[in-house]
Amino acid sequence: MKAKDIMEPVRDSLSTDTTLKETVNLMQVARRNESKVGVKGMIVLDDKGNLAGIVSIKDILKAIIPSYMSLMELGDFTWDGMLEEMARKVAGKEVKDIMTREVITVDEDIPLMGCADLVVKHNLQRIPVLNKDGKVIGIVYVRDLYYAIVKALLEKDGK
Amino acid sequence: MTNEVATAAQPFVMDSTFWTATIIFILAYAIIVSEKIHKTIVALFGAALMLVLKILEQREAFHVEALGVDWNVIFLLISMMIIINLMRPTGFFEYIAIKSAKLGRGEPFRIMVIFAVVTAVLSAFLDNVTTVLLLAPVTLFIADALEVDAIPFLIAEALASNIGGTATLIGDPPNIMIASKAKLDFMSFIINLAPAIIVIMVAFLFVLKIIFGKKLKVKPELKQRVLEMDEREAIKDPLMLKKSLFVLAIVTLGFMFHGMMNYQPATIALFGAGLLLLLSGTHDPHRYLAEVEWPTIFFFMGLFIIIGGVVKVGLIEWMSLKVLAVTHGNMFGTSMLIMWFSAFASAFVDNIPYVATMNPLIIDMAHQVWPHLQGIKLLHNPELMPVWWSLALGACLGGNGTAIGASANVIIVGMSERAGKPISFIRFMAYGMPVMILTVILATIYVWLRYYVLKI
Repeated sequence: MKAKDIMEPVRDSLSTDTTLKETVNLMQVARRNESKVGVKGMIVLDDKGNLAGIVSIKDILKAIIPSYMSLMELGDFTWDGMLEEMARKVAGKEVKDIMTREVITVDEDIPLMGCADLVVKHNLQRIPVLNKDGKVIGIVYVRDLYYAIVKALLEKDGK
Repeated sequence: MTNEVATAAQPFVMDSTFWTATIIFILAYAIIVSEKIHKTIVALFGAALMLVLKILEQREAFHVEALGVDWNVIFLLISMMIIINLMRPTGFFEYIAIKSAKLGRGEPFRIMVIFAVVTAVLSAFLDNVTTVLLLAPVTLFIADALEVDAIPFLIAEALASNIGGTATLIGDPPNIMIASKAKLDFMSFIINLAPAIIVIMVAFLFVLKIIFGKKLKVKPELKQRVLEMDEREAIKDPLMLKKSLFVLAIVTLGFMFHGMMNYQPATIALFGAGLLLLLSGTHDPHRYLAEVEWPTIFFFMGLFIIIGGVVKVGLIEWMSLKVLAVTHGNMFGTSMLIMWFSAFASAFVDNIPYVATMNPLIIDMAHQVWPHLQGIKLLHNPELMPVWWSLALGACLGGNGTAIGASANVIIVGMSERAGKPISFIRFMAYGMPVMILTVILATIYVWLRYYVLKI
């Protein structure tokens, strides 16, 4: 099987000037597949519809944690309500300032082992899949790779 | 001990080598000031040119003290950085910072004063950049907890670190370089500079009181956030902390007595770094060595070689003759000229290349004035001593003038920008320049009174 066989088609995306508050809302209402609503990561497209970046829950956490906390061990001294306070402070930040810009992508025809290799090497949750024109056509999720393994081990040969 | 001070005194001619070296020197400094290319790259390439164009021989650049890399400076810096890198994970610096904030009882102005004093004291014994890197994050954190503007606190810390760093041999790179070239020991710096710095620090706190004493307000319920912090939670590795404090005590004692025991400061620091690495029991020294600020270290190395080139061809001698033409060999005039020129020069350009140039220039000048003296007799001539102290005071205190005057300022400005609280060049200068002028005036009075009136 290849990336295009297990990917979820892209239904919703963000633009670079979406604010953090809007992003959170969009991620709540984005469609995951036919039945489910709410995603933990979305791709960001520029004006021309090309991939500009990706925003995941972790990117949003990073945007909310003050930069000085990465420089010293201050976690023990934080106060109740600090996270919410900081979140409200940065609500107006735009996607282009919080997204991960260097996105690891795959071609639609890459075999699943290629995807699994990237997931483990770069600690990914999702990999955007590009078509021949370089446009995003879907996303391969870690869980779908895992289902492929489940299938291989638990289902009888040739089904 | 052999002395190579005399090297600089050869007669010179303004031949093609002279001009080549001069052009490399001027271009390198101009590009460093313009910040178009990273200063470390400029210094290393300039140094390489000095060697490739045969202005300096490699042997001179690597092995001759008066012309090449000053390994005393290099190993002192590297060793102190290793000690700090080993100490950081213990949580000691978080402990000090949180403890300081609590001592301030959540009162913003009290916290500002305590942080300024702690910064000054730490800066006297650690590199200024290290000090602000350790204190500024906690300052931003405390300012968020109290919901006050962090910028006045950060600027106060940058200024305090430059003031405090002036007090000792290891406090600020210019002092390390001056000590090495002039063969001055740790205690001479304490005896000659610390009294001036204590006076200056008191005056600085008074200025803070006038500017911020009544301005900073905080809601009473927010003070509780700071008071509830338990600084003991910061300590992550008590055993390693004990080892670190033990080594730090040895290093401090070593610095105090290195002159008496005839050790160079770098020997003391290297012993401390080696001992703490050994005591830490680490099998992965790579981690602590990798965190050494190698770009700074290589910047120094490149710079020393570039300066060596212009010393060898006689540019520095020519410059020293020009200074003498202005001062007519009057050492009081020279002290004052050097202090004020150094202050304004250091406010706008990196004081490291500046002092690297001034050191051989002063030695050359001394050589012209007292041609019959050699070695320590020349370097420690009682009439020359106030000139060294004026250079240290001017170059270190001058760093406060602008946001780019000292590395500590650059770090503070960068960090507050990343935290979404940018400090403009003008805003920094509005505080920094008056403080610089005030502190240099006090330093001027100190030098005049101590060395030319009381003569002690």
